[in-house]
Amino acid sequence: MADSTPKPSSSVKLVLLGEAAVGKSSLVLRFVNNDFQENKEPTIGAAFLTQKCNLPTRTIKFEIWDTAGQERFASLAPMYYRNAQSALVVYDLTKPTSLIKAKHWVAELQRQASPGIVIALVGNKLDLTNEAGASNSLGDDAESDAADGEDVDGDARKVSTAEAQSYAEEEGLLFFETSAKLGTNVTEVFTAIANAIPETSLKGIRGPGAAAAPARTEDPSRVNLTGPRDSASKEGCAC
Amino acid sequence: MESLSETLWDVVIEGTGLRQSLLALALSRSDKKILHVDQHDYYGSAEAAFGLQEADEWVGNVAADSLTLPFRNASLWKAGVYGDERLSFSRAYALSLSPQIVYSTSQLLAQLVSSKVYKQLEFQAVGTWWIYDSSAIDASPSLRRIPNGREDIFEDKSIDLRAKRSLMKFLKFVVDYQSSPETWEPHATSSLPDFLSTQFKLPPHLQTVIIALALSLETPDNTTVSYSLPRIARHLTSIGVLGPGFGAVLPKWGGGAEIAQVACRAGAVGGGVYVLGTGVKDASTDADGSSDVTLSNGEVVKTKLLLRDVSSGVPSDAVIAVSRIIAVVSTSLLPLFESTIEGAPLSAVSVVVFPPNTLSTSDTANTHPIYIMAHSNETGECPGGQSVLYATTLYSSNRKALLKIAIDSLLLSTQNAADAVLYSLHYEQTAPSFGIANPLDLAFDDRMLEDVKCDWKKVVGEVDAKFMRFEDWAGMNNEQVDGDCDY
Ligand SMILES: Nc1nc2c(ncn2[C@@H]2O[C@H](COP(=O)(O)OP(=O)(O)OP(=O)(O)O)[C@@H](O)[C@H]2O)c(=O)[nH]1
Ligand SMILES: [Mg+2]
Repeated sequence: MADSTPKPSSSVKLVLLGEAAVGKSSLVLRFVNNDFQENKEPTIGAAFLTQKCNLPTRTIKFEIWDTAGQERFASLAPMYYRNAQSALVVYDLTKPTSLIKAKHWVAELQRQASPGIVIALVGNKLDLTNEAGASNSLGDDAESDAADGEDVDGDARKVSTAEAQSYAEEEGLLFFETSAKLGTNVTEVFTAIANAIPETSLKGIRGPGAAAAPARTEDPSRVNLTGPRDSASKEGCAC
Repeated sequence: MESLSETLWDVVIEGTGLRQSLLALALSRSDKKILHVDQHDYYGSAEAAFGLQEADEWVGNVAADSLTLPFRNASLWKAGVYGDERLSFSRAYALSLSPQIVYSTSQLLAQLVSSKVYKQLEFQAVGTWWIYDSSAIDASPSLRRIPNGREDIFEDKSIDLRAKRSLMKFLKFVVDYQSSPETWEPHATSSLPDFLSTQFKLPPHLQTVIIALALSLETPDNTTVSYSLPRIARHLTSIGVLGPGFGAVLPKWGGGAEIAQVACRAGAVGGGVYVLGTGVKDASTDADGSSDVTLSNGEVVKTKLLLRDVSSGVPSDAVIAVSRIIAVVSTSLLPLFESTIEGAPLSAVSVVVFPPNTLSTSDTANTHPIYIMAHSNETGECPGGQSVLYATTLYSSNRKALLKIAIDSLLLSTQNAADAVLYSLHYEQTAPSFGIANPLDLAFDDRMLEDVKCDWKKVVGEVDAKFMRFEDWAGMNNEQVDGDCDY
């Protein structure tokens, strides 16, 4: 993309939560690398990745913490969602227990995370349902076809779109069904999160004079540990 | 899912305070099997930062049992319920139990950079320093700015020429005190004020300024030359190192608590196993030198090395103790954070020093200095329009009342009413007289890094692994991908 007019840039911390093997790492891999691995190994501890997103009016740099679903002691997540501006809570739509776990994470986030956190509920592995082909190419008529495709190779869907969607609405969450395997809806999830983050909570775009400064805004109190020692300012995000 | 007892751990680390968390960071690329436990259900141990609700619970725990050592005698007062117009939501706050500034020359910053985790931290300037002055007979007490380096002193019209010369002479000496041992070594155990007046002829009001820079919790008479010179030198040589107009920084969102969490995250990414709400109850050594560690949940795990958190076992009659008040106030205290130095970043933290005998209750004056670290809302520790005041003094008689008076006096001398206080948490913190780094110090004590390095060596052995020097997240079970995508 043309770089002629620098847009305001800011970083957004995002944490992925959800039961083991629902496809958290696969979603990130699709989003960051546009790649998929059929037999992805479970995440140990956690993984950290970054990805820049150029929106029409601003650039968002996601700092992504991908946690381990099989984390045994539920002791890690608190340090990942601390100060996170957004969370992606993932379930596997072929596995009802994973939605229960997802609801548990949503409740915990609402109790413990920053008050304004943007949460997206994501039902992954849409390709394992019969409507996958239709929804992949056409987008949003997935639900209407769901009932009548059970004859051929068996629909693996166990969580209906309606159920998850109404839960998401009740709790005020963004909601998507995705396939990390085919790439369905993956960038859409992240774009929706980026757009839902209130401008005021963005690091690097606030502080006195934020409204007046059109671009290259920078947190006026931020100290750079590695940058040049003089005051020549670099880009807003030091990462 | 294997259980904890099926693994032979290389090390079990108890506690997630700054020291233990930095160790976890140091070991994060070591391929060692690391079990990191904390008896609390939060990260940070004595360096934790709390929302208001967590602080409520903590106060209850301190009153109820001894699990909260090194803390004792906690009590709190609040103006209303959380979430009303005055106090905001619990999680809009991050109150640090052990607030410490970090000097720009501290090795801690260098190690956070070389270990790459600094990228997940934001640092802010501690840029303005004040002295509370109640000596003027004809005027009300006021805050005097502590000059920020030599240029500042030259421009200070309140200092007469002769005093200025003496002061410059002292400053020139102190930044390089090690090369002139003949000047100070004979006086190493003398008190700093004595030294300043006999050796440098500094008038009392300038002595007060110099003494303030040592950030000593002791009375000036008990503050020795050998203790102070390195500290004053550290202060002066740090100014300008990371930018104009400041010499120390603080991590946003809760200071040391934030560093501890970032360090533990690195430990987890490296494969360390984390268990909160689980402490070490008991340990016994086997014939082969490994330890059987009984955890508080009853599970017994085997480890080659057990590193216990000594601070949590400090008896309550430990030698040093401080009293602290954390106060949330309904004013942004802007004038306090304004720097006079051109090009300086917005100061997020301001240090206010109350020398001995500047404050008094009806029956006593403060025998010891009182320090208030004012944190603006830029630190992310409180909502806009408010600030957090961290007041500390050495445990002494009437300490609590004096800390309160210090807070009120700060508010009055910045044209705020004392009723600006919305919330006030008082507690005492103890520290072992053993151990080299002092956790009660108001500035991060670099000797803690020596402790960390020493523990690290015990785990990795004397191989030529590099302490805290890592590549950018490249490695075993995590991918560092820095992507770019357009929509
Ligand atoms: N069919 C299909 N398989 C998927 C999809 N996403 C992930 N998988 C597979 O599901 C398995 C688990 O995926 P991961 O991305 O490792 O799951 P995770 O949530 O990161 O798992 P943990 O790291 O253990 O928490 C892998 O074998 C993936 O190939 C998808 O959209 N469709
Ligand atoms: Mg994973």
